[in-house]
Amino acid sequence: MWNPHEPISSRQRQILGLAGLGTAVAIWAGVAASGLVKPYFLPAPWDVAAALLDMAQAEGDRNLFGAAWASARRVGLALIAVVIIGVPLGVLMGSSSKVNAVLSPLVDPMRSAPVVAVLPIVVLWFGIDETAKIVFLWLGASVFLIPMVRDAIVAVPRQHGVLAEDLGATPLEAIRHSVFPLALPRIVDAIIVAVGVEWTYITVAEYVNAKQGLGYLIQTYKRLSANDKVFAGIFVILVMALVTDQALKLLKRRLFPWETEA
Amino acid sequence: MKIELSGIVQEYPAPEGVGVLRVLDGVDLTFEEGKLNMLLGPSGCGKSTLLHLMGGVRPLGVVSPTEGTVLIDGEPCTGHHDDVVMVFQRYLNRPDLTVRQNVAFPFRFKLWRKKVPKAEQDSRVDEMLEAVGLADKAHHRPSQLSGGQNQRVALARALVLRPRVLLADEPFGALDAQIRHEMQVLLVDLIARFPTTVVFVTHDITEALILGDRVVVLSTPPARIADDFTITEARPRSENWLRSTEGSQMAARVIEQLRGGHGPEGGGQVRVTV
Ligand SMILES: Nc1ncnc2c1ncn2[C@@H]1O[C@H](COP(=O)(O)OP(=O)(O)OP(=O)(O)O)[C@@H](O)[C@H]1O
Ligand SMILES: [Mg+2]
Repeated sequence: MWNPHEPISSRQRQILGLAGLGTAVAIWAGVAASGLVKPYFLPAPWDVAAALLDMAQAEGDRNLFGAAWASARRVGLALIAVVIIGVPLGVLMGSSSKVNAVLSPLVDPMRSAPVVAVLPIVVLWFGIDETAKIVFLWLGASVFLIPMVRDAIVAVPRQHGVLAEDLGATPLEAIRHSVFPLALPRIVDAIIVAVGVEWTYITVAEYVNAKQGLGYLIQTYKRLSANDKVFAGIFVILVMALVTDQALKLLKRRLFPWETEA
Repeated sequence: MKIELSGIVQEYPAPEGVGVLRVLDGVDLTFEEGKLNMLLGPSGCGKSTLLHLMGGVRPLGVVSPTEGTVLIDGEPCTGHHDDVVMVFQRYLNRPDLTVRQNVAFPFRFKLWRKKVPKAEQDSRVDEMLEAVGLADKAHHRPSQLSGGQNQRVALARALVLRPRVLLADEPFGALDAQIRHEMQVLLVDLIARFPTTVVFVTHDITEALILGDRVVVLSTPPARIADDFTITEARPRSENWLRSTEGSQMAARVIEQLRGGHGPEGGGQVRVTV
């Protein structure tokens, strides 16, 4: 019988995960080897691997590690801005229905807005340098983070705030000492989503006038029709996004061991 | 410290969306210094509403009280009062803090940091941990404690402020009989050590009779005071006393009041665990 609550050991999870991944690669390899699809459309796994090696040894701005570092740096800097501006804003919206009423029509629809279409405006306002790229990533991730932070605050039962105020807290102290700490694990979830969003937007951010970066590499090789290298670039972005995601989730479990207890 | 409620009427928007639901219908009550007052009544009769009024906790978007006044030592009660502290059925302990940090929690607020010097804060916290029997669990987190132990933390967190009034809203309502009994014994012990006026809401008749110096019974809504009597029997009160003529007459009287004048269905949910 199928049991949706059946526990799974981490070993079992790893094996099943690898099996899924392995099957996908096997199908990919099979299709590539069969010759049914031209390598231009679907480079074989071994070609992509060779391209990766090639790119790792490339000189100058085409070097894979340099590109990965440049992209990671943008993602990191933008994330700092997302957290510094977005978390207080989300907390404010979650703590005051008036502030929320003002800001929610500005923030909430942006989640489904074509952020990509906003890029030319960002470039218009912030130029074509590093700033514009970071502002773009900041914007793209903030519209996801801010509502999530707000919802995390709203989800804390009102009684916690009531108790704090009954014990003599000012409204601000009640948020700081009772509501915020309880919302923190979900706020960290919002930050994890924000990094993920930034990684999906990195190629777009590096569309305009990037001199280095994974998105830049992908575009360059696209122009050269080196699709094995395009695949390799996408692969590296996926891996980096996965690594940041897993690292942050690990950090979260370390920081909030009480969340899964109780 | 004296709490005076006069002519308290509380109406809430009716759940069906039309009109109002009158919960409290003219309640006059005075609580005098240093007693253990039990507030008893059927489910939904407005016990929590009444307690919140005294604690200065107001519902969102509803005028409270609709009519009437609440005076604390003659002063109108409009919000938080330094000498009045509440304890709820939900412990509301911070899961990320240790037991000790939870007991010291109110000292994070400027109000108490100014009022109580650091050294005294520490000594009070130690004293409270020992008083509720959690000195050896000081560094545990709430998730490592039982329900009863968590409620001990919440009690210690309230009494560490040396309130002159303690308002308790069914604090032991979620605990099983055995633990509830232990907590009742502990409470009697605690208020002997840290004297305070207690208003204790319960819908357990036994609990009311075991603990109360005075028992106030509310009727089904729209609630008025159905009965109000004192118990002079010294605590701790035994099972035998509960089964004695005096004890069983009191229980019968409360049950009678809770059901009285409201037809056969009028009693609401009343728990008798004698
Ligand atoms: N903020 C509110 N808005 C609307 N209705 C409310 C509100 N607070 C309480 N009520 C209603 O008022 C009635 C009394 O509620 P209250 O919580 O004071 O009763 P209670 O005696 O404490 O009940 P219980 O024994 O279940 O704890 C209930 O019918 C409840 O639904
Ligand atoms: Mg209640």
